[in-house]
Amino acid sequence: MDRAEMHNKFGFLESDRHLSQEEQQIPALTFKEVSFSYHGQLSNIQSVSFTVPQGQWVTIVGSNGSGKSTLARLFNGLLMPDEGLIVTAGMELKPDYLPAIRRKVGMVFQNPDNQFVGSTVEEDIAFGLEGMCLPAQEIRKKVDLYAEQFGVSHLLKRHPSELSGGQKQRVALASVLAMEPEILVLDEASSMLDEQARRDLTETLQEMHCEGRYTILSITHDADEIMASERVLALREGAIIGDVSPDELFRDEELLSRCSLEAPFARKLVQELEARGLTKGQVRDEQELMDFLWSFN
Amino acid sequence: MRDKLIIGRSIDTGSWIHDLDPRAKLSAMLLYVVVIIMVSSWTGMALTALFSILVMYSTRISFRYYLKAMKPLRFLMLFIFIVQALTIKGGKALLTLGSFTLYSDGVETGMFSVARMALLVSFTAILTFTTTPGKLNLGLEGVLKPFKKVGMHPERLTLMISIALRFIPTILDETYKIMKAQSSRGADLKELPWKEKGRMLVSLLVPVTVNAFRRAQDLIHSMESRGFVINEPRTSLHSLTWARRDTGFLLLFVMLGAAVIVV
Amino acid sequence: MVIQLDKVSFDYDARTPWANAALRHIDLGISAGEFIGVAGTTGSGKSTLLQLFNGIIKPTAGTVAVLDVVINAGQKTPKMREIRRRVGLVFQFPEQQMFEETVEKDICFGPMNFGASQEEAKQKALQAVLKMGLDPALLERSPFQLSGGQMRKAAIASVLAMEPDILVLDEPTATLDPVSRQELIRLLHTLCREEGRTIIMVTHRMDELLEAADRWVLLHKGECAFQGTARELAGRLDIMEQCGMAVPLPLACWSILSQRFNLGLEEPCLTPESLAERIAALGFTKTEGKAEDTPERNEEGLCATS
Repeated sequence: MDRAEMHNKFGFLESDRHLSQEEQQIPALTFKEVSFSYHGQLSNIQSVSFTVPQGQWVTIVGSNGSGKSTLARLFNGLLMPDEGLIVTAGMELKPDYLPAIRRKVGMVFQNPDNQFVGSTVEEDIAFGLEGMCLPAQEIRKKVDLYAEQFGVSHLLKRHPSELSGGQKQRVALASVLAMEPEILVLDEASSMLDEQARRDLTETLQEMHCEGRYTILSITHDADEIMASERVLALREGAIIGDVSPDELFRDEELLSRCSLEAPFARKLVQELEARGLTKGQVRDEQELMDFLWSFN
Repeated sequence: MRDKLIIGRSIDTGSWIHDLDPRAKLSAMLLYVVVIIMVSSWTGMALTALFSILVMYSTRISFRYYLKAMKPLRFLMLFIFIVQALTIKGGKALLTLGSFTLYSDGVETGMFSVARMALLVSFTAILTFTTTPGKLNLGLEGVLKPFKKVGMHPERLTLMISIALRFIPTILDETYKIMKAQSSRGADLKELPWKEKGRMLVSLLVPVTVNAFRRAQDLIHSMESRGFVINEPRTSLHSLTWARRDTGFLLLFVMLGAAVIVV
Repeated sequence: MVIQLDKVSFDYDARTPWANAALRHIDLGISAGEFIGVAGTTGSGKSTLLQLFNGIIKPTAGTVAVLDVVINAGQKTPKMREIRRRVGLVFQFPEQQMFEETVEKDICFGPMNFGASQEEAKQKALQAVLKMGLDPALLERSPFQLSGGQMRKAAIASVLAMEPDILVLDEPTATLDPVSRQELIRLLHTLCREEGRTIIMVTHRMDELLEAADRWVLLHKGECAFQGTARELAGRLDIMEQCGMAVPLPLACWSILSQRFNLGLEEPCLTPESLAERIAALGFTKTEGKAEDTPERNEEGLCATS
């Protein structure tokens, strides 16, 4: 999707929500010494504390089995903590507040197939809205609007088996965002997609972040997506072992290996070039790398 | 595997049958079942068949698909035919082999049953081909609404049906894939001796079940995070509106029923 | 040639409106000991292609020759058993196909189906586990107690235990973390180089396989859009664009160098170290004034980042 076009599409919604000074003070998500374990097992999440201000884009990294997905399921009470305090969108995570909290937190999961509730795209996007008891015309309006935004308008009547993985994840995003949440959580949403679809998804997240309406928490192994975010929480064996910027993460060899991550190719190449004295800090992103390759001598 | 399960998927051709109220189609289906049970003469059967073919034609869906929908049931039909042909005695003796005689009544009854079944299946296909599962469900919920008064929850039933309709093809696809994977490991259903087939079944059922549970878990999480709570009130994207043509459509079936009784 | 496809087409015979991607007119030859990477967008026919290699599906047109068995479309096929053993096919998410109480039993399933005794099968299981870099102690555990990465490796070991000559894998690295991915590819590469096994692997991240693969097959809408080495592909990045595929960054970088300095015949440098080294060398030659005529900058078909 064209970037400028995307901006406009998101842009005209901007007026829907003006954050008052006061609202901006409330963090989107607070964890205070939260622990959780599946019954009879070792502790999966151990005394985790962190705060995410509104509008921030945070990635959560860690090797397979480090507790990332468990952590994400605590954000909106799909799992409840054994100990500690969780405050989501200004509400303490308690059974009474769950419906309200879940309206504020949209979650997109890893497997594109398993989160497709409806038997057509439009039914899937409508699913959450129907639960909010909106009248049919309003549902229709929002379905069309969000389908348009995520480029799935032409697929509204399709069955999920007729869609590609990337299209299904777009539908999942549209379904979740149609409910107009404040916090978007992605649990390895791009890991089953092909390269192009993965890049498209990262780009979409970038647009959404620029627009500033959403706090984004994304679990991922993908170096490009991590680079695009603002902050990285590194998880290992259920504990936070790093709260750094993406730049710091990819500089820290030890932290990288403890989260089973690899620096992106562009970054490694730039490091190698710098080590050979070929570049001196002027190459900071892929575009600049390309420019360098076209012009060095 | 997926293409064998043609029934249960809609094909959008935008015909007027597609646009009918699903409640009308469901009620028509019910009437049709009654007609099929009542019909007792070949003239009546021919009339019903003609009627069905006209409806099929109006859907603008190729007859090939209706045949395909019937294909999985061909052995059952054959079985029913054989059982009836062999057990029902009466009429002329067509063929005698030793102590066994094949009678014309048996053959006729057998053929009649097969015709009934074929019509019923093709009519179910009309219903599912022209109605998206979502609308079908909504229709079912509408038709079952009276049961709410006696303390039942039709929306629970319809939710169950819609999830089943949505996931059964996926799970079957997956089963097929696991079958292929296991036969790649030398467990080919066709080539194995009987006593090994049990083992093969275990190698199939365990992963299929485990995966179905995993899917269910994912689905529950996805539904819950979109605010789903069972038995909470919901609205619907598709609203049903009963139009005059829906009444007309139903009347056609009433007329068919009357005609069948008369002939 | 261990695998030879001659004008192969495959149709899901029921022509339903929901038909899956089929294959059309595929010509493909794979030699013993090659490491082949297969790529293409969702629905391009990658998984279907793999299933032709061990006779799980049969071509609807053309000829598939695998090892010493020839499968002609429309003819009665020879017994597939031996081919199934000699061509190990690892489906997507193989760990989701495990079913026994212990890893060992699961790995023994294949060999025993192909006639190995329990003792032999256990021996093969042990070897396969070691080759996949797993701790033999895991053999006693339930598959469901392993971590995601371990489970994936154990599942691949269960195919490897059949001692296939050709190992065919459908996206074996999907959903693994980057370190596990690299590890798995290294193991497969070793199997290829040291034991001479032919490896055919589908991936949706070409970056990870650029170093290991000898040759690439790109599929698009059921047709073979490209066949050749990474070097050849670097000169034809427009094909990837047409297929709707993202160009891997190392290839995009090499392609720029190749265009500027006419390196079309040179083996591409696709690791950060080797590429930086090559750039350093090129910079040196440039100052000596050798490669002066820089071709016109052509961004089309290059990096998809914006």
